Amino acid sequence: MSGVKPLAVPVNVIYTYDGSFEGFLCCVFESVYSRELPFDILCEEDAPLMLMEMRSVVTDPEKAERVRASIRLKISGRALELAMTVFCSCLDHKELRMLEFLLQGYREGGKLCLKLGNAVMEPLLRAEKHLLGEANLLKGFVRFADVGGALVAVITPKNFILPYIARHFVLRYREEEFMVFDKTNRTALVYQDGKVEMLRFDHVTIPEASESEARYQALWKRFYDTIAIEGRENPRCRMTHMPKRYWANMLEVSDLVRPAP
Amino acid sequence: MDLMEKLTILADSAKYDAACTSSGTDRPGNTVAAGCCHSFSADGRCVSLLKVLMTNHCIYDCKYCVNRASNDCRRTAFTPEELAELTIEFYRRNYIEGLFLSSGVIRSPDYTMEQMIGTLHLLRYRHNFWGYIHAKTIPGASPELVRRLGLLADRMSINVELPSEQSLSQLAPHKKRQAIFSPMQQICLEEKQSRRELAVYRKAERFAPAGQATQMIIGASPETDYQIINLAAAMYGKYALKRVFYSAYIPAVEDSLLPALDAKPPLLREHRLYQADWLIRQYGFGAEELLSPDTPNFNLYLDPKCNWAINHMHEFPVDVNQAALEVLLRVPGIGPTSARRIITARRNGRLGLTELKRIGVVLKRAQYFIKASDWLPGARLERQTTIRALIDPKVYSFGMEQLSLFSDNPGSRPLPTARDVKSITEAVEETVLCLASSL
Repeated sequence: MSGVKPLAVPVNVIYTYDGSFEGFLCCVFESVYSRELPFDILCEEDAPLMLMEMRSVVTDPEKAERVRASIRLKISGRALELAMTVFCSCLDHKELRMLEFLLQGYREGGKLCLKLGNAVMEPLLRAEKHLLGEANLLKGFVRFADVGGALVAVITPKNFILPYIARHFVLRYREEEFMVFDKTNRTALVYQDGKVEMLRFDHVTIPEASESEARYQALWKRFYDTIAIEGRENPRCRMTHMPKRYWANMLEVSDLVRPAP
Repeated sequence: MDLMEKLTILADSAKYDAACTSSGTDRPGNTVAAGCCHSFSADGRCVSLLKVLMTNHCIYDCKYCVNRASNDCRRTAFTPEELAELTIEFYRRNYIEGLFLSSGVIRSPDYTMEQMIGTLHLLRYRHNFWGYIHAKTIPGASPELVRRLGLLADRMSINVELPSEQSLSQLAPHKKRQAIFSPMQQICLEEKQSRRELAVYRKAERFAPAGQATQMIIGASPETDYQIINLAAAMYGKYALKRVFYSAYIPAVEDSLLPALDAKPPLLREHRLYQADWLIRQYGFGAEELLSPDTPNFNLYLDPKCNWAINHMHEFPVDVNQAALEVLLRVPGIGPTSARRIITARRNGRLGLTELKRIGVVLKRAQYFIKASDWLPGARLERQTTIRALIDPKVYSFGMEQLSLFSDNPGSRPLPTARDVKSITEAVEETVLCLASSL
C-alpha cells in the first residue's frame, strides 16, 4: 500500500470505552472522523493509570448504528460477523486489531475478507477459530447436575462463548430448565419457560448433590474409568483432545487435577 | 446384581469396539451434525456414546473375543428398562450424545436382537429420546429384525472382524461370511430405499439415517495392509459404508492361533491404516496407489501420503497459485481445509510462503513439494534432507520396540531397531540412510 495516503495517522492516545460492542463501534467512529490510529483501545474497567493521554469515548447508539451499517455496506456482512465474533474472543488488544482490520476494509472493500493470508486478517481469523473451537469443545464438555429438577453447570472458558453454545443447549433441552454459569466472564445463560437470557452474576453457589444425582455421577465416573483400554494408555493424546484447563469442571477427571482432600 | 456392577461388566466388555462417533444425522434437536465428543478416555479415544453391551452372555466362541463362551468371566445382562433410564439420565447431564448398543449372543441371534429392539423402542417411544443411537446387528439375525432395528437406530454396523474368510473360519468358527455380508447388503439397500422415499414423502420412515459402519481387527491374523485396505475400499464402494474402523488386536486370550499374550498391540500399524483410510475417503487417493502386491505393508517411518509423494517426486513441485484442488490435496502438509483456503485466498492476490504459513499449511513438510510466488525448492534437493523432514516423529513415541516386529519391509537394508541405536537422533539418522537407499 505504499504511496497511498494512510487512512489514519498513529497518535499517542489511548481510547477507553465501556466494554460493549456498541462502545467499540463508537471508538471506530472516533478514529475515522479524527483520522487517527490510537495507541491502544481499552475497556474502562481495566484501563491502568498511564502517562499517555487517555480519551474516554462515550457510547452513542446512533453513532454505533452508523458504523454497523457502514461495515455491512462498505466492507461486507462477513466483516461484521467476524468483528462480532472476535469481540467475544480473548485475543490480546482485540479492539486495536479489529480497528486496523476495519480501516483497511473501508479502503479495500469486501475482498479483504477473502485474503486469508493477509497480515491484518490473520490474527482475527486465528482468534475466531480459537473461539469457535472452544465453543465446540464445550458443547461436549459442559457437565450438568440435576438440582431440584433444573440443570446447572459451571464453565471457565477463555473466550466468551455463551452466545455460541446457547442455541445448541436450547435445542437439546427444549423441555427442561437450565443454567450455564461462565465463571471467567461472570455471566450466566439461563433458560426458563422457553425463554433464554444472559444475566450477569458475580458468583453462583450450587447446592450439595442430592442422592440420585450423586448416584448418576458415580455411575458416570465408573463408566469413564472402565471404558479406557489399559494396553493403549495415551495421556498425551487425551490432553491434546481435552486440554487440562477444562478438567476442573468435568466430574470424571476433576479428581486428577484437584485431588480430593 | 446392582446397576453399578452391571455397568462395570458390560462397559468393560464393550470397550474394544472402536467406533464411537455420533456424526451424520440431522434430526431436529440433534444439533451437532458433525458429531460431538463429550470426553476422552485415558487411552485418548473420544467418548461420545454410552458404549455398552446388552449382555455379555455369548453362545459363540470366537477365539479373539473376551466374551467367548469358553472364557470364564462374570456374566450379566441389562434389562431394557434399566438401560433406557441410564441412557436418558446420562444424556440429560450432557455426559453423552446417545447410546452405542452391542451385545453378546444370548440364546439365539433373533432373541438378542429382540432384546435390543425392546430397549431402543422404550427409549424412542416411552422416553421420547431422539438422540443418537448406534446399534450393532447380530450376525445371523433374521432380515425382519434387522429392518426393525434400522428404523429405530441412527447408525448400524456389523463387524467384519477378520479381513479374510480363511481367518474368519479359523478364529470365529461360528460366524459365517454370508451372515456378515448379507445384513450389510440389506442395510445398504434399505437405506437407499428410505432416502428415495424421504425425497418424496417428508414423513417416510427413516432407516439408519447415519448410514452403516464396520470394524476389522488388525494383527490377530496374517493379512497384509494391502489386503486390508483393498477390502476396506471395496466395502466403501459396494456397501456405501460411512466408516471402516481398525482395531489393533490386544491379546486377551492364550491360543496357538493368536499372537502371544505379551505381544504389544500394533498401534502404529493401526494409525497408518487410519491415515490411508482418510486418504481414500477425503483426499481422492485410490487403494492401489498407496500399496501394491510388491510393497504390501505401510512404511512405518513415513505416513502414507509422504511415502506416496517421495515415490512420485516427478509430479512435484506443485504451483500453489495454479494447481487444482485435487493436486493440492496430494501435497504433504496440505489438508482439505488449507487446500480450500488456498483456493479462496489466491483469487485475491498471489501467495508466497508468508501467506501460506498464515493460512495454516505445514511448511515443514510442504516446502519440498510446492512452488509459491517467492519460493522454489532447490532444483535437485538432496533426497536425504527431504526424508529427514518427513519422518513421522510418532514412530519414536510409539516405542521403538514395536518397530522390530515389522522390520520385514522388502527394502535392502533392515531398518534400525531399539537394539541397534542409543538415541533418537541416531535413530533418525540411521533411518534416513536406510530409507534413502531403499525407496
